[in-house]
Parts: sequence; C-alpha cells; structure tokens
Amino acid sequence: MDKIERNIIEVKHLKKYFGQVKAVDDISFCVKEGELFAFLGLNGAGKSTTINVIAGISTKDSGTISIDGIDIDNHTDETKTKVGIVFQNSCLDKKLTAYDNLRLKAALYGIKGKAFEDRLEELADLLELKPLLKKSLEKMSGGQRRRIDIARALIHKPKILILDEPTTGLDPQTRIMVWSCLNTLKDHKEVTIFLTTHYMEEAANADFVVILDSGHIVADDLPNHLKNKYAHDFIKIYDKSDELIRVLKEEKMKFEEKDDFIRIEVKNVEQGKEFIIAHADLFKDVELLKGTMDEVFLNVTGKVLTGGSANE
Amino acid sequence: MNKNLYDLLYLIKRNIKMYFKDKGTFLISLITPAILLILFITFLRSLYTSSLEHYIPEGVIISSRVLNGFTAGWLVSSILASSCITIAFCSNTIIIADRANGIVDDILVTPVKKTVLSLSYLISNYITTTIVCLACLGLGFGYMAIVGWYLSFNDVIMIILNTLLLTLFGSLLATIIESFIKSMGVGTALSTLVSSMYGFLCGAYMPISQFSDSIQNFIKFLPGTYGTILFRYYFVRGATEALGKDLPAEAIDSIRVNFDTEIEFFGNKLSNGTCFLIVGVTALVLLAAFIAIVLIRDRAKVKKTEVAVAKN
Repeated sequence: MDKIERNIIEVKHLKKYFGQVKAVDDISFCVKEGELFAFLGLNGAGKSTTINVIAGISTKDSGTISIDGIDIDNHTDETKTKVGIVFQNSCLDKKLTAYDNLRLKAALYGIKGKAFEDRLEELADLLELKPLLKKSLEKMSGGQRRRIDIARALIHKPKILILDEPTTGLDPQTRIMVWSCLNTLKDHKEVTIFLTTHYMEEAANADFVVILDSGHIVADDLPNHLKNKYAHDFIKIYDKSDELIRVLKEEKMKFEEKDDFIRIEVKNVEQGKEFIIAHADLFKDVELLKGTMDEVFLNVTGKVLTGGSANE
Repeated sequence: MNKNLYDLLYLIKRNIKMYFKDKGTFLISLITPAILLILFITFLRSLYTSSLEHYIPEGVIISSRVLNGFTAGWLVSSILASSCITIAFCSNTIIIADRANGIVDDILVTPVKKTVLSLSYLISNYITTTIVCLACLGLGFGYMAIVGWYLSFNDVIMIILNTLLLTLFGSLLATIIESFIKSMGVGTALSTLVSSMYGFLCGAYMPISQFSDSIQNFIKFLPGTYGTILFRYYFVRGATEALGKDLPAEAIDSIRVNFDTEIEFFGNKLSNGTCFLIVGVTALVLLAAFIAIVLIRDRAKVKKTEVAVAKN
C-alpha cells in the first residue's frame, strides 16, 4: 500500500540576515517524508544557513519551521532528536577512534550501554564500518571518514538526514560510495534525505529540487518538471553530413556543430521524435536526450555552476 | 542520572581525552616548565647558589644540602607558579579548535545545552591543568627529596592547596579569554605569548624583587603574583629556617625579600592568609564573570528566538 505523503519539514517565510546580508530572505518550502530532497545553489546562496537553522545551530530572524509536526521554537530538544546532520567538513574528533566518536555522540542523545552497541552493530552492517571502528579518524581516508560522518548522523535513528554538500572535495570513487550509502538508506531505512549540493547530477537524482539564489527560492519542482520548464531537450547525431546541415538550416532549427557530433535543440521529446523519423535516412547514430540540470540552473539563475563557482 | 549532568560528564571525559591524545598540545603546554628546567640546569642553579653564598659570613659553613634544598624549592615553585597559568592556556585551546573545526556545531545539534558545553570546557581544563601541575609537583618533590628535603607536612598541604587554587584561577582566566577567540592562529599566538610572558611576570625566571619599582608595582596588581609568593614561601620555608640556624636574622630577612618569599603592597607586608584570600577572591570574581558570560550568551539566543516568534 502506498504511504500517505506528509510533510516532515515545513518551512514558512524563513528569514535570516547577517547585518546587511540577507542570507535567507523569506523562503518557504516543504519536504515530504521519505523523499530525497535537494537544495541546489552556489556558495553563498543560503543553503547552509537554512539547514543550520533547521538543525538548531543558528537562530532565525523570523518565520516558522516545523519538523515532524513540531515547532522547533517550542521543542528544540525534541526536534533535534529527529534530525541527523552530516556537515560539509567532517566535525568528528580526529584524534579519537571511530568507536569513541560514535559512543560520545550517542551518549549525548542518551543512547548508552546495550542500546548503543545494538545501534552500532546495525550501522556497522549498513555502512561496512566494522574494520574502521578501532581506527582513529586521522588515519582514515576521506571516504572512510565520510562513512563515519554518516554513521554519526544516524546514530540516534533520526527521521531526517541532512547532508551539507556531502560529496564536495571527494574523489569520484568516494562520491559513488557516498551515493551508494544514501540510496541504501533511502531504499531500506525510511529516512528522509535533505541534501544541499552544487553538483547538478546529484540534484537530478533527487525526488524534489529547490534552487536557491541569493537567499531566494528561484525554482522548485521535480527534476523532470524543472527540465521541461527550464531546459530544452536535444538530439545528438554522431554521423554528420552536409545534407543534414542543409536540412537543419532549411527547417531553421537551432544546432551546434561539435567535433564528432551535431547537437540539435528541440522544444520537447515529441518534436525530437518527429525530426528523427522524418529524416531517418540522413543518419544512423543518434540520441534523443532530456535537457540537463546545468541548463535549468543557467536559465533560472543566469549563472553557470562550475564546481561551486559561478560565471554569469 | 540527570541528563545535563550525564552530558557534562561525557563532555568532560571527551575534552580530557582529546588533550592527552593530542601530543602536540600536550608538549606545547610543557614548554614553560621545560625552559625553566633547562635554565636551572644551565645557569640559574649556580646563580641562586652564589646569591645565597653572598649572605654567608666568612667562616660560616652551610651544608650544601641546605643550599640545594633552597634552590630546588625555588626552581619547583617557579615551575608551578608559571605552569598553573600557562598549562591552563595551552590545554584550553580545545575551545578554539572545536569552534574553528565545527565540532561545537556538531555537539550543539544534539540535545545538549550550550551552558553544559561551556561548563565542560572549564571543568575539563581545570582537571587537565591540575593533573599536569600535580605531576610536575610530584617530580619536583622527588627532586627535592634527592637534593635536600626541608618541607613539613603543613608546607606540602599548603603547596597542594595553592596549586589547586592557582590552577582554578588560571583555568577560569584561560576559559574566559579563549571563549572569545574564534581562530586557531590567534589562539596559538595567545598561548605562546602567555607561555613566554607569564614566566617573567610571575618572577619565575628572576625574582620580582629584581625588577624596577614601576614594574614591581604593576606586577603587584596581578592576582597570580600572590600565588607565586605563596609557592615561594612554602617551598623554601624549611630551607630558610635551616639557613637561619647559621646566618644572622638580617641576612635571613634579606633572603626572604630578595627571593620573593614575602611581599609588600605599598608598604604593608601581606600575610599568607591575605595572599590566599587575594587569589581565592579573584577566582570567585572570575567564576562569577564566567557564569555571567555563559548566561548572557544563552539568554541572547533565547531572546533572538523570542523576537523571531514575535515577528511571526
């Protein structure tokens, strides 16, 4: 039976200013239980500020936030137990072992003794931590440390796992490992994942995406809907010919010639299909592709996202 | 057990563990005692011995054990007088490191009160500083037992009491000052500055009586000075009495003044009780300041939340 979709996080008219800087300026959004929610934006867009307020690290200037139906202003401690957070930079004690780090953090949530050992066992199985538990964090690789960070965030069985740019600065292999962990959690552990990122391909994996720019929400929808609204689909044809270029010019289609293919912009999948069928004799090697999140971001914000830095 | 108390104990344990695991911080905090030891071995010992011999009339023979007992007492009192403060500053850099590395945020996302976290830094700093100072004291007693032991049971008790009191003063001062520092660079610079300066200011490297009048007057306004005087008094009291058997009373009075075992505050000779009172009252004032700072910070956060709620 399908689960009734309910909002596990509700943010209404959130504002957070630092002097004259409007880090977050009147934003509202909801996160549904069990979904993978992505906050997409450049550095300074207000992503980390928002999650710091949700996690109870920073205070807000105005607005309301409820977590699992509870207002964070009135029940800070209660809402804190519902949220686990993985910071962009590992915030664990590097001199201590993974076991000591996890034990301390569990203790701060009131989890001790057998309850802690049982929870540790679960997480060790889920994140393959057993060989790492007795190792100090300073002797671990970036990927191993990230797994401990995730375990630390999950030690108290939170309903929401917030990850602040969890893959920034990690090598591709470690990024794949982190995503494999997240997908496992999403599939089996009924945890809502709230992710901030500036990697487009990560945002495209989410169930719902909010694009932030200079403290404002500039777009929010399902990734596919965003692509339909803000990006063009396109055809890639790998066997170029003069005849094909002549046809494209004749039909006044927008196209770009690359070294080994031609990229043709189409309004939607239907138009793309029609073009391919109508001119199937002109090419053999062809792809019909959806627009990218990069294009969505460019069209929504007027900025290009290149690994966290923007070019307008 | 009450959750706040339980959290406090865990955080204290964590802070202490971090200090002793971080060999760099641990060794840096031992720089001042190490410098003193080196200076003593290289020239201070012979300098003090020749200074003492200056008071010995011709024909009077003083046992080298008495002279060694006196100089050893002076060395150990110097080490302790400076260590109680400098070790407190060095070991407390964990406050700054935690803030700079985001560990404070990671702790505050758990249901731990900010006041409990602040208190844990103070208490753990007091415990670590006391452990190291008592270890130095133990080694000092060992050395004195070998070269010349003239301490009574009462002297030992008063030395231990003074160690505990001066350490409390140092810990409070370090915790208050370092709670305002946000960068590790500033924290390290401060620790280094305190380590190098305090040795001079407390008269560890040379007796306060050797400074110019204006500097002496300035030093007399520093409460730690009175802790130094108490150490001096109890560490060399027995050896001075032994010297008194063979030396004239004027010579003993001169030794007491020139080797800082007693102090005058604008013409009034201060008793040991007054010295204890000055250090004790200062520690109480610092404790009150610490509590006020913690409460003001906590209330500022509550007030901000209340303002945000009112704006809604």
